[in-house]
Amino acid sequence: MASKAASKGKGKSGKGSKGAENRSASKCVKVWSTWAMKKAKVVAHYGFIPLIILIGMNSEPKPQLAQLLSPV
Amino acid sequence: MGSIAPPQHPLGPGVVLPPKTEEKVEKKVDWRNLPCPVPFEEIQREALMSLKPELFEGLRFDFTKGLNQKFSLSHSVFMGSMEVPSQSSDTIKVPTAHYEFGANFLDPKLMLVGRVMTDGRLNARVKCDLTDNLTMKVNAQLTNEPHYSQGMFNFDYKGSDFRTQFQIGNNAFYGANYIQSVAPNLSLGSEVFWLGHQRKSGLGFAARYGTDKMVATGQVATTGVLAFSYVQKVSEKVSLASDFMYNHMTRDVTSSFGYDYMLRQCRLRGKIDSNGVVSSFLEERLNMGVNFILSAEIDHGKKDYKFGFGMTVGE
Repeated sequence: MASKAASKGKGKSGKGSKGAENRSASKCVKVWSTWAMKKAKVVAHYGFIPLIILIGMNSEPKPQLAQLLSPV
Repeated sequence: MGSIAPPQHPLGPGVVLPPKTEEKVEKKVDWRNLPCPVPFEEIQREALMSLKPELFEGLRFDFTKGLNQKFSLSHSVFMGSMEVPSQSSDTIKVPTAHYEFGANFLDPKLMLVGRVMTDGRLNARVKCDLTDNLTMKVNAQLTNEPHYSQGMFNFDYKGSDFRTQFQIGNNAFYGANYIQSVAPNLSLGSEVFWLGHQRKSGLGFAARYGTDKMVATGQVATTGVLAFSYVQKVSEKVSLASDFMYNHMTRDVTSSFGYDYMLRQCRLRGKIDSNGVVSSFLEERLNMGVNFILSAEIDHGKKDYKFGFGMTVGE
């Protein structure tokens, strides 16, 4: 009886640890994807307009830098 | 001898007969080559263009400077009152002023539009043609405050007589729509969406019947919204439009009637509403590339009067 209880206990703890591993793996993925989305959002926020300006200044015919900055 | 073949049954395998030289030229329907329908979100575009101009209150000045064919910068100043949504029936107006800088890159295959305001809010639109028939669109509003940013990805596929679109947005929003031409003038479409965080989903159907002279559309959705619109093109310069919307959840019924005069030097749009709102929007072309704008909206029900004026320089 004691051995049965012990084996039951061990079985449960075995399943518990595997379950904990699975849970932590999915949690890891979630945490990393949230971190990646946050970084992507900051990059997009600061970099989108400079990206457009970069692509535009390199398109044909190439405009001058003075044209970019002057108000006329 | 030059005998004309007997007219085919219109529902048979489609063959387009050459136009006869009699007075009544009847073109047989080619059921295999129906035209491509308008995109699902633009099903009411004629009515929206005529009935919903961008009314504003205050001063607006837009300057667009083109650096070359594809690339342009824009500077935009706005000073006036903006309405803040409030729970009570009173309108709360907050005086605001902002400057917005924008850059546009327009290529046949790639379109990038970005606008940034002085408080750091970025409004970004990207449209990219991945292949001849597949287009990807991205629409995002990014703010400095956390959890207020929004973004939406759209993938559009255009077939010979149908269009389909798949949308993914933040807050786990997923949507799809499909529209098909079933007759030369008639197209039917449907859309479905699912909101993950609130576990809400919806299904809607739309129909559009359009000829050269008129367009009639109808939309119904499980969110409890029913909308109809009708636009009649009276002449090259004049269109009349009317619109009806019923919201079952909020028991809101609105109907409006408006006109759109597209004249050589100006474009005048006016509308009157069943809520007692009369509005008008005038764009007058003073010179090549210089437009003067006047906007007026008078809400007799809420006693709210909004007048705005502005100027747009550049294309």
